[in-house]
Amino acid sequence: MSHLLEVKNLKTYFKLNDQTVKAVDDVSYHVNEGEIVAIVGESGSGKSVTQYSGIKLIPQSAEIVSGEVIFEGSDLLKYKENSEEMRKVRGGKIGVIFQEPMTSLNPVLTVGEQIMESVMLHKQFSRKRAKERAVELLNMVGIPDAQERVNHFPYQFSGGMRQRIMIAMAMSCDPKLLIADEATTALDVTTQAQLLELLKDIVKRTNTSIILVTHNLGIVARYADRIYVMYAGRIVESGENKDIFIKPKHPYTIGLLNSVPRLDDPKDRKLIPIEGLPPDLANKPKTCSFLDRCPFKMEACEYSPAPQLVEVDKGHYVSCYADIKGNDWNLKFEEEFASASEQVIMKKEWKSKENNGVILEVQNLKTYFPFTKGIFNRKIADIKAVDDVSFKVYKGETLGLVGESGCGKTTVARSIIRMYEPTDGKIIFNGTDIAKMSKRNLKNIRKNMSLVFQDPSSSLDPRQKVFNIIGEPLIINKLVDSKKELHERVEELMRLVGLDPNLKDRVPHEFSGGQRQRIGIARALASNPSFIVCDEAISALDVSIQAQIINLLEELQEKLGLTYLFIAHDLSVVRHIADRVAVMYLGKIVEIGDWKSLYDNPKHPYTKALLDAVPIPDPLIEEQREHKVLKGEVPSLLSRPKGCVFSNRCPIATDECREMDPPLSVEENGHGVACIKV
Amino acid sequence: MEATQKVEINVPRRKSEFQKFIKVLLARKVVVISLSILFLLVVVAIFAPWIAPYNPYTQNIANSLQPPSKEHILGTDQLGRDVLSRIIYGSRASLIVGFSSVALAGVIGSTLGLVAGYFGGILDSIIMRFMDALLAIPPIVLALSLGAALGGGLVGVVVALGVALIPTYARLMRGQVMAVREMDYIKAGEISGISNLRNILVHVMPNCISPIIVLATLNLGIAILAEAGLSFLGLGVNPPQAAWGSMVNDGYQYLSRLPGLSFAPGLCIVLVVMAFNIVGDALRDALDPKLRGSL
Repeated sequence: MSHLLEVKNLKTYFKLNDQTVKAVDDVSYHVNEGEIVAIVGESGSGKSVTQYSGIKLIPQSAEIVSGEVIFEGSDLLKYKENSEEMRKVRGGKIGVIFQEPMTSLNPVLTVGEQIMESVMLHKQFSRKRAKERAVELLNMVGIPDAQERVNHFPYQFSGGMRQRIMIAMAMSCDPKLLIADEATTALDVTTQAQLLELLKDIVKRTNTSIILVTHNLGIVARYADRIYVMYAGRIVESGENKDIFIKPKHPYTIGLLNSVPRLDDPKDRKLIPIEGLPPDLANKPKTCSFLDRCPFKMEACEYSPAPQLVEVDKGHYVSCYADIKGNDWNLKFEEEFASASEQVIMKKEWKSKENNGVILEVQNLKTYFPFTKGIFNRKIADIKAVDDVSFKVYKGETLGLVGESGCGKTTVARSIIRMYEPTDGKIIFNGTDIAKMSKRNLKNIRKNMSLVFQDPSSSLDPRQKVFNIIGEPLIINKLVDSKKELHERVEELMRLVGLDPNLKDRVPHEFSGGQRQRIGIARALASNPSFIVCDEAISALDVSIQAQIINLLEELQEKLGLTYLFIAHDLSVVRHIADRVAVMYLGKIVEIGDWKSLYDNPKHPYTKALLDAVPIPDPLIEEQREHKVLKGEVPSLLSRPKGCVFSNRCPIATDECREMDPPLSVEENGHGVACIKV
Repeated sequence: MEATQKVEINVPRRKSEFQKFIKVLLARKVVVISLSILFLLVVVAIFAPWIAPYNPYTQNIANSLQPPSKEHILGTDQLGRDVLSRIIYGSRASLIVGFSSVALAGVIGSTLGLVAGYFGGILDSIIMRFMDALLAIPPIVLALSLGAALGGGLVGVVVALGVALIPTYARLMRGQVMAVREMDYIKAGEISGISNLRNILVHVMPNCISPIIVLATLNLGIAILAEAGLSFLGLGVNPPQAAWGSMVNDGYQYLSRLPGLSFAPGLCIVLVVMAFNIVGDALRDALDPKLRGSL
């Protein structure tokens, strides 16, 4: 059987300075009709460039050196970049859904116009018919009132809706193949689940094939038929979904699976990060590119050329020299890995820390932002970003704060450290209320609490040396007496977070993303705080690096007795690291409890929906799970529903819910739910 | 706790920022030529007494309006003064006016912009409305009236041009500061209790300064041109002091007979202004870390 798309020995190189960056280095794969194929890899692995090479949507500095991209029998690489044939393929036979829904639609055209454009071009439809088609497409992707909405502009849609429109555009000319390039990465879990279910549905109905380009292993396990794993511009392993997840053979694939926290993990599993960094693609070694990070490397690997893909099982290809035909490979891996890295696989047994005493108590915290209009900045409403939130944090524990974007979790964090001024309520830190404390008195408190930011590249001053960045809190708070002491302390901090103190004279952009986050953590630790707020501290990092940072945070907590307020949208990560978890929705805490009772026995319908939406990187489990999709979207803070804030999306809501705002009722074990139905 | 002691060695290759900056800056030939022209200009201006073949002020009416010859390479003007020597001395006026007026505008303008952008609120409104008012007056009219009020001369020209240029710096700096202020690294400092002064000096200013440097370089050319214009209009330096603009003006009457009298200083103006513009453009590319990374 011939494949719908077959890529053979594709090589795409970038020319930068005098260096050649081998972004795609001899990649071959195929896609059959009606199939969902996933290309998995971390940033910089070449997964997107591979896709865009075929339809010639690559930057000018890139050059397709060799290879064939055979689509429906003809080689796409033979077509000129802007030729008639290529344009017929792009948008006509191959549709693309880009990552960023906010920037991939033209803001000055109505969404209808944008869909009609390609229909009229590729199908020679009249304007009238094109419009009908646009409405039909919007209906198909689940946009309510499509007849009306077709005349709206992109800014009138939410992020999830825009991504639906992107799908409608990509589907407008009945393509044979859809390329979804990290299409759901920027979206919240519930929206992500909605969209992926939609895509799956489309595949079933229209026999379209989809290439899912992603780094999220959970999504892959849930939706993909076949998987290609890419690393440093090459495919290192490929096979059926179950082959990859149940019998992974390549050390990188195994490492990747071991480094991701899962929703069904035992609590005491320690994440096993892949140590080191991916190779510099400009100076890629001739040997296996995973060599430096591979815990299994043999002598032969050091001098042999990069391994080729070999079929180890029917349809399961791996490029590795190690003897990987044996079935006990996985077990052997874990054992050897554990001894090789001298790490214990298990964390200490989890214990509740409620007896340690309270370090922070937030009472009825409200943070409102004025919503102004007109030239006189007249205040017309309050944006209630945080509305009456109360919780306690015990000494030495990690409180996870989860919720979708816009739920107010970051505002809570920033109010606690007084980056935002709280409107009302109490923030009792170590016995003192700091909610209304003056800036001057606050200085003494701030030594004891600090913040780790989300984006390590924007939170470090690009023009300061690492030494100055880490040393700054020490100087400001006069915590060191002499230059010598300052140097010693900075070096100590760098060692503590796993950075070589010899690098203290470098500037942030000389470091990789994970290392930058380590610098940020070192800065947060500088003034010896007892309480640290981690605001999405790991969500900007690649999965293999995430594990390194999570482990670092856990080790630091144990060593220094730190208390964390861990803010994240990734529920699996929070489950792994947190002792207790609070779930927020529209500025309110809807459920709070220790991790076990919250994850094992979620009570609030929103928590249940969130947990349902998180995919687990294990196809066997995914097969058994019921994929319930939460309808609708998070409403704007200005049009908060009456009564219970979740009532307009809640599957079990009744009229009663729309009238009464449910209070957080707490059971004896500390598990609290704000819902009148439980 | 073995793992925390383990150190990551794979840090990207080291290449100093300055080396990269120089490499990008000197990537194009035209920039190298422009820099050489400017370097030559500075050398000439500083060592004018030693370089100039004649005293630029010595008049010799008997020898006036001579075409170029062996003794006077560019000929003599209507008062018999050596044109080459006057051009060499004139470079001083151009440089003094250029640098002082830009320095004046740059320092005052960016300070105002910094204060307005950093503290915001009512202070911001007051400063910026004042700047808007200044901006509303056409710069050449402003310079003319200020020059006339201050009675011409070098100081008058410098102040006039300086004041006229202030609003651009204030606007640019304010925008930069407002963007940088929102960055997480500024917030990180604020959380650890940094003082405003330290925050401004250590974090805000260094991250806002590159566009100001670029603008200053571009403005040097503009200021030199404006000085020439004012001198041409008779509001520049006082005679008998030499300035390129006034020399163009003086030679203007003899354009048909001795075009060199006007063209030679005019060509100097063109060259120097162009050189400053090219260097300014190159600086903009070289100072941007993002563009720098791509080269």
